[in-house]
Amino acid sequence: MSLDLIKDILIATVPLLVIFPSLFAFTTWLERKTLARIQNRIGPNKVGIPCTRISLFGLGQPAADGIKMLFKEDIVPNGADRLFHLLAPILALIPAMLVLCFLPLEFPWSKLMSAKSGVQAFLLDGAVIFFFAITGLNTLAIFMAGWASRNKYSLLGGMRAIAQMVSYEIPLVLSAVVVVMSVGSLNAADIAKAQEGWNWFVLTPWGLVAFIIFFIAALAETNRSPFDLPEAESELIAGYFTEYSGFKFALFFLGEYISMFAISGLAVVLFLGGGAGPGVAAFPWIAVVWFLAKIFGLILVMIWLRGTLPRLRVDQLMAFAWKFLLPLSILNILVAGFARFIPQDSLFPKVVVWLVSFGVLYAAAWGLNKLNRADVKPREYKYAE
Amino acid sequence: MTQEITFWVLAVIAVCGALLAVWRRNLIHGVFALMIFFAALAGLFLLLLAEFIAAVQILVYIGAVGVLLIFAIMLTERVTGDDGRRVTARGWLWGLAAAVAMFVFLLLPAIQKADLSQTTQPIKPSVEALGHQLMNPYVVTLEVLALLLTAALIGAVAVAQGAQEKEDEADDS
Amino acid sequence: MTLEHYLILGAVLFCIGLLGALTRRNAVVVLFSIEIMLNAANLNFIAFWRFGENPAVLDGPLFTLFTIAVAAAEVAVGLALVIAVYRHFKTVDLEQLDTLKEK
Repeated sequence: MSLDLIKDILIATVPLLVIFPSLFAFTTWLERKTLARIQNRIGPNKVGIPCTRISLFGLGQPAADGIKMLFKEDIVPNGADRLFHLLAPILALIPAMLVLCFLPLEFPWSKLMSAKSGVQAFLLDGAVIFFFAITGLNTLAIFMAGWASRNKYSLLGGMRAIAQMVSYEIPLVLSAVVVVMSVGSLNAADIAKAQEGWNWFVLTPWGLVAFIIFFIAALAETNRSPFDLPEAESELIAGYFTEYSGFKFALFFLGEYISMFAISGLAVVLFLGGGAGPGVAAFPWIAVVWFLAKIFGLILVMIWLRGTLPRLRVDQLMAFAWKFLLPLSILNILVAGFARFIPQDSLFPKVVVWLVSFGVLYAAAWGLNKLNRADVKPREYKYAE
Repeated sequence: MTQEITFWVLAVIAVCGALLAVWRRNLIHGVFALMIFFAALAGLFLLLLAEFIAAVQILVYIGAVGVLLIFAIMLTERVTGDDGRRVTARGWLWGLAAAVAMFVFLLLPAIQKADLSQTTQPIKPSVEALGHQLMNPYVVTLEVLALLLTAALIGAVAVAQGAQEKEDEADDS
Repeated sequence: MTLEHYLILGAVLFCIGLLGALTRRNAVVVLFSIEIMLNAANLNFIAFWRFGENPAVLDGPLFTLFTIAVAAAEVAVGLALVIAVYRHFKTVDLEQLDTLKEK
């Protein structure tokens, strides 16, 4: 093992291991404050710099939470499978961290790497499909957590979680197929480069629909509200999380937030330009700032949705995936293929193609909505006479 | 050098995973050992520079087939294996003999020192070339595969559901 | 690593799968073993492709892709059959499924 290889590995991975957990800490504070303001209260504002009375808007709260979770007692239920109980949080964290390496983040220190062009940690040709493959490992970790707790409610929560995650993987992948078809490559760096300037994919009709489907499916994949049936506190006593306390719970929490970052990162790469923005031609290092800013924008939208939308019931969840998102994403692929491969000479100017595709997609969404509407009539109120 | 170490580590993990999957009485432990086996095999595919196949292996086998096996184990009995029944079938010695015989048979060319090529040509793994091959020479196979998967989907739903309808009819009459 | 290493590993895995298919009583474990055998065959395909003389033809990965798809379809149908058998016989023990046997 040459020293060069070890140096390259450290340069590629250690910054990610330092940056993203600290972003996670900041995001927990941001989430609590944002949810509090949406719910018309203030949120944590007491903990600031330790050992002083300066409370910087409660920014020290994540540190306090981390220390609390580390020192909590680690309870394992009596008949539980100890090995799996220990392995499940670790197995939930590994895919989330691994998948961060596939994002094309051009850090300024990447020039120190000797091999290749140092753009991202893994220069794989099929980066996008590896992303989806490794995100699928989360399902296994959640089932392991539900099974190892030896608790019927955890098991039920785990089965529901797997059913939800497996169902929403299909619209997720199909909406990414639209982008891959338009660019012609599975390489994340190529996709980010094809959207330079302002030709982001979200600004085309099929790209917009694909982005919306991807975002909804990403919410379901990371078990965020309104799809947080497996882990909500009022459902099945927190589902597959029930028997976890202390550090293992903190690992699950960390894994969930990092997978939120990772999927938002993929959404930014595929649809939102991935580092493109004003000022990139002049200062190349500003691309990373734009990338992280866009990821944070998406995270804020996720937090906003958590604060405003109610939770979906499990049959509504599955019906939404299979009867609405799946036909819409398949139709989206057809429309995107039509728009990409039709010869755009004077016969079909771009505007007509865009209008036609927008019309078709809107009509399809409206039609599917009408088909799926439950046939309940408006309520009849019977008053006492 | 790193290639050798990686190969041996992955090979040991694969063999241990397969042995545990076949031996364990507790079926859930068996399924997870099988997932480890699939992951080790995906690593071996990556070592052989077949990137797309490694991704498809993880996506299909661990993500889909594994979950399917877990659901099927949940729906059938004797999951934890706490009973005292025997794990092996009645003629298990014959099975062991057959497996050993097959092993010797498969290694006959190596024992007879057949001449296998040792050199590797430099390849640049590319998914685009695979896509071109799938669309141009092998498009009929691709369509037949799609038909097969549709038939399997409909068949699996029909077989797993047919018993339910018969039970409902029997209850009604 | 040479081709022989991969082939011997494939042979070992195939025989472990064969052992499981022939010795276990539980139908689901027999399905596990069939998957192990199919994966060992896939490893052989990719190893021969990598060490062969014309890797640009991509026959190894293509065949493996089709094998993976067919194996997934077969596991789905096999498990549906196991569930249907369980509903009728209330067991998946292969020793007890002998209604076709002559008395």
